[in-house]
Amino acid sequence: MAAAAAAVAFMELALEQAKFAMDNLEVPVGCVIVEDGKVISSGSNKTNATRNATRHAEMEAVDALIREWQGMGLDQTNVAEKFARCDLYVTCEPCIMCAMALSILGIREVYFGCANDKFGGCGSIMSLHQSSSSSAELSGNEIPRPKGYKCTGGIMAEEAIALFKSFYEQGNPNAPKPHRPVRNSE
Amino acid sequence: MAWELSEVPSNLTHSIHDSTVDVIAAKIEPKLANGLIRQLNQACPLENLRHVKRVRRCNEFGEKSELSIILCLATGPENFSEMYPQDVKKIVDTYKLNPFLAKVARFSATSKELWEEQCKLWPTSYHPPHDLDGVSGCKENELPSIFDFMRTAIQLSEVGKNAAVIVDPSTMQIIAKATCGTFQHDDFKSNECAEGNADSPFSLLETTENKDRKFFLPGTHVSEFNSLNMVVSCINPWGWMKQRPSEQKSLHCEGGFPWHPLRHAAIVAIGKAAERDKALFPTIYSSTKPNSNGSMEYYSVDEPAKRLKVDRKDNEQSAHEACCNDLSETRPYLCTGFDIYLVWEPCSMCAMALVHQRFKRIFYAFPNPATGALGSVYRLHGEKSLNHHYSVFRIKVPEAYWNGPVGFSDKC
Repeated sequence: MAAAAAAVAFMELALEQAKFAMDNLEVPVGCVIVEDGKVISSGSNKTNATRNATRHAEMEAVDALIREWQGMGLDQTNVAEKFARCDLYVTCEPCIMCAMALSILGIREVYFGCANDKFGGCGSIMSLHQSSSSSAELSGNEIPRPKGYKCTGGIMAEEAIALFKSFYEQGNPNAPKPHRPVRNSE
Repeated sequence: MAWELSEVPSNLTHSIHDSTVDVIAAKIEPKLANGLIRQLNQACPLENLRHVKRVRRCNEFGEKSELSIILCLATGPENFSEMYPQDVKKIVDTYKLNPFLAKVARFSATSKELWEEQCKLWPTSYHPPHDLDGVSGCKENELPSIFDFMRTAIQLSEVGKNAAVIVDPSTMQIIAKATCGTFQHDDFKSNECAEGNADSPFSLLETTENKDRKFFLPGTHVSEFNSLNMVVSCINPWGWMKQRPSEQKSLHCEGGFPWHPLRHAAIVAIGKAAERDKALFPTIYSSTKPNSNGSMEYYSVDEPAKRLKVDRKDNEQSAHEACCNDLSETRPYLCTGFDIYLVWEPCSMCAMALVHQRFKRIFYAFPNPATGALGSVYRLHGEKSLNHHYSVFRIKVPEAYWNGPVGFSDKC
């Protein structure tokens, strides 16, 4: 019970980040990273402002942490140990890119709001949170194994979806005009 | 062995005979066709067989053509007449149809040849991969420059690093170059060179070869993983954890990070292309009207029905819009229309980043059997749910190229 209440509390903070993104005309996704029950980083989607479609909320929050830890003089091994104690709360299921990134970082656990049925990398389209067996064969000797992480969805999903809906109503001012029909709806 | 280019198909092209699906079909009167198509599409839509045409026309004996229609999927080979859904059964009874078993292709054709094969079973629709001339998505006369750009990428990559080169094929201009920034390396030459290039974004393709640079030898057989290969970020994305730099250096911090576990070459290159875009087009966005379609970039909550409607509208207007907008909008949206050259096949993080940034074509030289997401382990470019699809090509680099005079004396 206590854990569930904590998850909701952290997700509320992630939703605040998502609202911040929307106020800046970004697709509303936000996240926080938690270590030992404390929020140590947060991020909101910045794909429009940076003109870099990889600058998802997760990437923003991770970069802030790495910058801070490097500033403290931590090396790779220290940073890996830190991430292994961190949980991520994000308003929407991490996309395939972010899901793989979180595995690369070796994050401990991920909690998300709504599912991402077009790009989701934590169960919807791919399941990168489950360490894959395909690369396990190669990890005979000193090669680190792929890191899986526990993933829980559906936390305050309605709130996350409501944000998307109001964003789509206002429209994405930076989206291109569609050129041709999207393939998957043929 | 010469340089070779081959497309990496977005789905596995099995022999056509082990990738078929059984369906129940029946001959019908031509005059019933339209009505039956409508009824059956409602009663029993062919969900995962959208490439399959509902009706087949056979011109036997040169007389009047004969039509057959797919009623539904067959759920088993035996006694199929008992198995179809209620609505379909009603149609069969009403029109006194004589159902029979037929085979159709399970996947949509990835090449014209395959499509022709498929149509011998049952007609399917075929959409050439992209709106480019050649079937393969690459024009023959592009090949020399494609190989040149891959040479540039290979020269950029050093021991233990992947490299990425982003190119605008319409102008043959290099937009950005990068190598991995996952570890601290002693030699930052390549980074400097990449940044120098970003400063002069209009510089055309340089063919200068740095003969002193130590090349990254990918190994004659890719199965022979040597320790050097294993530090390439996309091949061993978890390798960063074990890396302890001999000393912490803070002289060169590319993108503000002396090292960063996620700064694989493609990610760094995308960042540089975005910076370049901001430098070249500092004014806030072009005057594109807001629309709901493009905002699906990230996440989507809309219903398929709505999408379909939007898409159909696009279809009609696209030709018109294309000629109106091409001149007014010189600034590309993200990396739309651009190519990227990677020495190694990207991992799923990088491959998805390339989807997000809307690349047109991906070229890589060496497959990545550990985590490759464009053919080796996954085929992300065949994932239908994504909102953007690029074509993927593998460039086979002649052995002589890396065994040649340049740089490998210490390896061989």
